[in-house]
Amino acid sequence: MTSVDQASRPASSGLATLVRQPLVVALALIAALLFLGETLSPGFASGEQILRLLIVAALMGIVAAGQNLVIIGGREGIDLSVGGVVSLSAIVAGNVMAGENGGILPAVAACIATGALFGFFNGFGVTFLRIPPLVMTLGMLGVLQGLLVVIRQGIPSGRAAPALSDFVTQSFLFSLPGIIWLWAAIGVFMAFLLRRTVFGYRIFAIGSNEHAAYMAGVPVKLMRISLFVLSGVFAAIAGICLLGYSGSSFANVGEQYMLPSIIAVVFGGTPLSGGKGGYTGTMAGAVLLVILQSILTTINIDDSGRQMVFGATLLVLMLFYGRGRSMRG
Amino acid sequence: MSKLQLRGVRKAYGATVALRRGDMKLDRGEVHVLIGSNGSGKSTLCKIVAGSVRPDGGEVLIDGRSVEFSGPNDARKAGIGIFYQELSLAAHRTVAENICLAALPVSGGVFVDRAKVAETARRYADLFAEVAGTGFSLDATVESLRADQRQLVEIMKTLATEAPILIFDEPTSALDRAQVDCFFGILRRLKEEGRSIIFISHRMDEIFAIGDRVTVMRDGETIETDRIADTDHDAIIRRMVGEKGELAPPAEAANDAASGGGQVILKVEGFSGPGFSNIGFEVTEGEIVGFGGLHGQGQSAVLRALFGATPGNSGSVVLDGRSMSAARPRAAIREGFAYISGDRGRDGAIAGRPILENVTPIHFLKNRLALARPSHLRNKALPALEALKTKYAGLASSINSLSGGNQQKVIIARWLIDRPAVLLLDDPTKGIDLQTKTDLFALIRELAAEGMAIVLYSSEDAELLNNADRILVFNSGAIARELTGSDRTRYNLYHAAYEAA
Amino acid sequence: MSDTTVIAGSAPRSFRRFIERFPFLPALVILVVLLALNGLFEPNSLSYRAIRGLISTYLALILLSVAQTYVIYAADLDLSVGAILSLVNVGIIMLMQHLGGSPGGVLLACGAGILIGLACGIVNGIVVAVLRLQAIVATFATSILFTGLALYVLPVAGTPAPTVYWRTYGGTFFGFPFVFYVAVAIAIVLFLIARTRLITQLLSVGDDQQAAYQTGLPVTLIRLKGYALCGVFAALAALCVTGDTASGDPLVGGEMTLNSVAAVVLGGTALSGGVGSVTGSVFGALIIGLISSLVFFVGTPSEWQNLVQGLAILLALMVGVLVGRRAKS
Repeated sequence: MTSVDQASRPASSGLATLVRQPLVVALALIAALLFLGETLSPGFASGEQILRLLIVAALMGIVAAGQNLVIIGGREGIDLSVGGVVSLSAIVAGNVMAGENGGILPAVAACIATGALFGFFNGFGVTFLRIPPLVMTLGMLGVLQGLLVVIRQGIPSGRAAPALSDFVTQSFLFSLPGIIWLWAAIGVFMAFLLRRTVFGYRIFAIGSNEHAAYMAGVPVKLMRISLFVLSGVFAAIAGICLLGYSGSSFANVGEQYMLPSIIAVVFGGTPLSGGKGGYTGTMAGAVLLVILQSILTTINIDDSGRQMVFGATLLVLMLFYGRGRSMRG
Repeated sequence: MSKLQLRGVRKAYGATVALRRGDMKLDRGEVHVLIGSNGSGKSTLCKIVAGSVRPDGGEVLIDGRSVEFSGPNDARKAGIGIFYQELSLAAHRTVAENICLAALPVSGGVFVDRAKVAETARRYADLFAEVAGTGFSLDATVESLRADQRQLVEIMKTLATEAPILIFDEPTSALDRAQVDCFFGILRRLKEEGRSIIFISHRMDEIFAIGDRVTVMRDGETIETDRIADTDHDAIIRRMVGEKGELAPPAEAANDAASGGGQVILKVEGFSGPGFSNIGFEVTEGEIVGFGGLHGQGQSAVLRALFGATPGNSGSVVLDGRSMSAARPRAAIREGFAYISGDRGRDGAIAGRPILENVTPIHFLKNRLALARPSHLRNKALPALEALKTKYAGLASSINSLSGGNQQKVIIARWLIDRPAVLLLDDPTKGIDLQTKTDLFALIRELAAEGMAIVLYSSEDAELLNNADRILVFNSGAIARELTGSDRTRYNLYHAAYEAA
Repeated sequence: MSDTTVIAGSAPRSFRRFIERFPFLPALVILVVLLALNGLFEPNSLSYRAIRGLISTYLALILLSVAQTYVIYAADLDLSVGAILSLVNVGIIMLMQHLGGSPGGVLLACGAGILIGLACGIVNGIVVAVLRLQAIVATFATSILFTGLALYVLPVAGTPAPTVYWRTYGGTFFGFPFVFYVAVAIAIVLFLIARTRLITQLLSVGDDQQAAYQTGLPVTLIRLKGYALCGVFAALAALCVTGDTASGDPLVGGEMTLNSVAAVVLGGTALSGGVGSVTGSVFGALIIGLISSLVFFVGTPSEWQNLVQGLAILLALMVGVLVGRRAKS
């Protein structure tokens, strides 16, 4: 298709190398899990069920989009504050729209501005104060959690506008809900950004060799701040959608996305070391993660067993993806 | 029977063959010199012996018995101590801890026996007490030491293994004369004790001062072993260079082309910064100005400062009649500078990314592009890669799939799409093969002929002598001498480089 | 040679060496300031009683931060410390119940708890050091696994600890509270551990893993031991939590994981490994504790407390990182 696509394709394309492609691994696992789910509980892989899974995966996938950019940008890039931004955005959106369709646009604007602002703070701390991303975004998470408490005390919890709820949960176009279309659009946007824009080329450049990128005239600091801003914006969008999904905003709804968004990225074939990867894989990673969770809820075991199986399965799956380099040359 | 013998040892990293065929014998009580240009496989060979690189094939024998190491720890137990060229020190640990790190003495089974550590470290540090310099102490962290002192610590650490086989991979590159003499005294004593020593250095005088036998390596192969007494400087150089003769044919019209009339493109006056002071020179249209002198006398620092890569400079830089001071590479590139570093890994290669992405960043910047259209980029990239005869499978292959020389060509090609006014070359041939060097210098002379102003720093004298119209010899961060016309001889270059050192 | 630079850099160099030797100094300063502020706003907060309360409440976080420090020494990370703490907490609660709450049974249960922590640590070590999975995602996966186990052992919070256990923890012996003895014992143990070969090796691995490997250190084994030590200290933290809360809670440690990372960074230990001290982590944990009490004493309205606390911790993290780096450059 394109030259950059071929980049991820090895020169000696045999079955063995194909099997090692993260996207192929993820898709194969998705198929296997769907089959397993259908066997365990007939109806699991029905169209309706898959659609429901996709909605949940879309929420996770949108958060993971920003996480993905920050991680590709390298220098131990990671954004732990996304969970807080998702929660905050859901509350801000719920209060601004207050159940009215007319309030959707102002709510979206307010949320995106909020997400961008917190992303900017993260980016500023990481680039100009050179605080490690893990520390900076961890600290920011604490601030966001505190802010959530303040907001929730002061104002009533908001409600989603009917149009927003319909957009997320009801058929929108070709019997698919709007959020699926939104996610697909984000997928196209991310692919375009990463493969067809100078900005995208530069993300990979700073992620794989920041100093060489600097020496080749890449505005490294500006780039890195932009990545954190984008991460905040994507988390904010996810927050709005989450409000639409659940109808009303409640505390810390976003928390559940913090570390799973990172795992979705890793399962999509983007290593945490940066400079590699893409979003298509991450989308598959998000679906994989959601199906896995869903299968575990259909199996008739209690919560503890489910968690143990989930944790163990994550570990096993990780073995398929980037293991660290051996120290021996 | 040899203490250590290598038979057909080889190692490749993907497409890059680091060691094609390593054969050598190391006797008891000898200093065996390994010599060869950068990238000829010396370090790989040493690392295989030391267990930190797994060979693809071949055999390593110690005392006639074939050994296979599972790792460096294994090799150390088998009696091999190694000085790593890139050093193997823990920056935040103290000198004493580093010296003893491989086998920290313990008391009670678990606690570090600090007295013993200090005592052991003292024993080896004392060997260099006279020459270690200020700021050196057993309690200092390695991070706080100067480059030469760190190298001494790595030497002490190697000696502390008390191994019968000692490998020193460029142990003297940052050391001064007195430190080298002191170190050689120790090596001679070790030799008398019957230890076997592999020694690598690029300084010819050192090789003749300490070596018993010499093995020349070229393009990943051990070529031949001679007794030092039976060979000489020229014979070794000839073996290193091989049948291909000179590195690159001398510039045909080097002296008359530009030294006279051309228009001044770059004029530098009173330029000072970290590592150099009061530098002044001019480069005219189509001229190649060489920077010479011993390694690390400020040549790289000046080039990097001109490119805006290091802060804290003062002085006047005039490019094409415009006064300028680049605060960062981004600005320098826009002004018309290009900078090519010999340290590809740090400054050049966007590792793991496709060749296309490695060729295009300068084009993006100079044309303020926002979109990356592959067809457009391909049309720009192909001629630039072609000009250097770059060998690659496709624009989408990773830069890591190329040999070192071809990687460097890709990095150079990024500057050829939109031509700069001034090309700054900072030891651009470090660690690349002869063919690439030849291609590179042919291109550089072509660019000069087209009117580009070029500054060339090279650590290989022959490259300077063959290509530069004028040579500015650096010493301690200043220009010590200028060699023009028929003064540009190897003798004068050596002389100027060493005279104040 | 370059005498000028040496002289020019001599003034900051002494400061730098000082900080290098005592990386916890900025934390100590922050700690003293916080203590003074606490005393200013609530003189009673410096009373014997209050200090005793502070220690018995924060001893667990202190130990958990110490546990985290040992893996961060080697540039690793453990996001499962909180889950280990929870698992050990419910584990010993159930064991003590089974063994009947006699002093012998309690001691036996404590010993078993430490073994559980050790086992969890070894699992982490295998996953990260031996299998070479990325520490952040791998220990997150094991944290899910351990949490599942904890839920299996005790599905809901509530089972009380035997009276003898919490009476001892909260009691007074020979005129001094039990927690003081514990604190002193821990101080001695930490002092001894700091002098072991393993610590020097962990720090060397954190400094430069490749160099350590080339030196001949058994890097994989050293990292594994780091995780094992981490597990043991997480278990000790669980013993304190159990004494403080007097009951079992399968989710008690979850919230503490990120705080342990924050405490380590506050204490001047670099996430990149190679530099740091457990003393700093102890101070870091106390800083987190004192910030929350100060926020309370200052009279912050309750809904604002989390936000102010979050901001203060973020600020302290930034100051810590900045001072530490100023010392280096």
